[in-house]
Amino acid sequence: MTLLESPRADVLEDSSSSQKGLPDFTTDEYKDAYSRINAIVIEGEKEAHDNYVSIGTLIPEQAEELKKLAMMELRHMKGFTACGRNLGVKADMEFAEKFFAPLHGNFQSALKVGDLTSCFLIQAILIEAFAISAYHVYIRVADPFAKKITENVVKDEYLHLNYGQEWLKANLETCKSDLVKANKENLPLIKSMLDQVADDAEVLQMDKEELMEEFMIAYQDSLLEIGLDSREIARMAIAAVV
Amino acid sequence: MFGLIGHSTSFADARRKALELGYDHIAEGDLDVWCSAPPQLVEHVKVVSKAGNKIEGAYIDSCFVPEMLSRFKTARRKVLNAMELAQKKGINITALGGFTSIIFENFNLLEHRQVRNTTLDWSRFTTGNTHTAWVICRQLEINAPLVGIDLKKSKVAVVGATGDIGSAVCRWLSERTGVSELLLVARQQKPLLALQEELQGGRIMSIQEALPEADAVIWVASLPKTLDIEPSMLRSPCLMIDGGYPKNLDEKFAGSGVHVLKGGIVEFFEDIGWGMMELAEMEIPQRQMFACFAEAMILEFEKCHTNFSWGRNNITLKKMDFIGRASVEHGFSALKLKPELQTPVV
Repeated sequence: MTLLESPRADVLEDSSSSQKGLPDFTTDEYKDAYSRINAIVIEGEKEAHDNYVSIGTLIPEQAEELKKLAMMELRHMKGFTACGRNLGVKADMEFAEKFFAPLHGNFQSALKVGDLTSCFLIQAILIEAFAISAYHVYIRVADPFAKKITENVVKDEYLHLNYGQEWLKANLETCKSDLVKANKENLPLIKSMLDQVADDAEVLQMDKEELMEEFMIAYQDSLLEIGLDSREIARMAIAAVV
Repeated sequence: MFGLIGHSTSFADARRKALELGYDHIAEGDLDVWCSAPPQLVEHVKVVSKAGNKIEGAYIDSCFVPEMLSRFKTARRKVLNAMELAQKKGINITALGGFTSIIFENFNLLEHRQVRNTTLDWSRFTTGNTHTAWVICRQLEINAPLVGIDLKKSKVAVVGATGDIGSAVCRWLSERTGVSELLLVARQQKPLLALQEELQGGRIMSIQEALPEADAVIWVASLPKTLDIEPSMLRSPCLMIDGGYPKNLDEKFAGSGVHVLKGGIVEFFEDIGWGMMELAEMEIPQRQMFACFAEAMILEFEKCHTNFSWGRNNITLKKMDFIGRASVEHGFSALKLKPELQTPVV
């Protein structure tokens, strides 16, 4: 169907030409925003490493496998550290630790009582989906050095998103209500984390709307994979918007 | 498996439908929430054709609503994400319905083949334009005599003549239908001249000049908002086929002697157990659908897994013959004027 004569078509054509190029990676404004975004990414990978090692203590028979995953996260952390160095930016790690503190706290509480469902939801679903979505958006606007590193990280991230999914899938019957409950407690944290970095992300030309959409796609995909239906997922996702 | 990518006709409709379907968080969200909502595979369906072929399909709502048209990046993401979902679900052939193909074309999405870790395979998608063009032509041929128009003696205006559907319609009317004169209307002169040369005929006119002369008007572009034309200036009878999107011509023109027919819509020979065509505001949602959607079904019935309609001006008469024959064979018929609207032919 064509819309050649439509005034709406004019809107379509006009706005399509307003696409921006890549940001200027050398400005102070860019570097300032990057110091926090880069720190979050580094801290996120560090948390992931620590969390997988911790989960291994709850499932000793899987500890070796989880250790391998944890090492992979550590490699990612080093890669992202190099990205900051490449742009001459010092990551604001203090900011990043505060940024992750609420989620970190919830993970530690769950770990203490051996609540694997919450641990996997936080690490293997929420943090991984948050990271993957941010990386997908970032790849489109990253400097060439960081782009290459991030692309390789994304390939890895898909692997261990699946790992957590597999456990939740295998245990869905017994853990479903706990999963819904843990989601209700933790998904709002992701939303508020996204809100906190929206302005910095915007400087890097990462749209908040796009970040949210990418997150919802990754989140929905992994919950579908676990065996929830799309209506159940829609109800779980309410926690992110209200 | 065939797929259909569709969307609601307005934000209000979309929210109402989402609530009915149990998609609470999307239903309750404002437009920003919808802008970041993932596409949804909302329905699976099984269909048996009149010829006995059995197929399965899925309906994907892209979560796009027309209110997003001014947000270029959002609209682009909605279409690409819905296409990615169709491909990830292993759907063989998916039709891009409503604004989906318009956005694909106007935003040049061919350049955005990589969606996350999926490389879109264009051969799995069709615009459905070949079937739409064929259906529009058949609608003209079938309904014109019913309102007292003899096409052999008539002038037929095609508004949007140089577009993908428009140019195919012109080819068919000139080669097969044999109308008295084709009035070619489009915005750009250069492609109009090329079309005229290809057809070896047809008169290039402005819309204001063409409408008062035309016994039938085929609209494959939407009505320009600025167009000011008195219905009394139109011929009587005049048959208008509204093949644009959205379909809003009847509000402007329907009246004495002017018959407006929704163009590019087909009816299946029996009810289909789906709920999604209500979204597209079909009068009989269990049977009626956009011809572009039906094209995906026909291609699946025929096991013809290829991007049958793709790009601009690739629709040949041979392709229209193929899809037309298959359309009839599998139980589709072009939407007709309602009997009470027809002028008795003496």
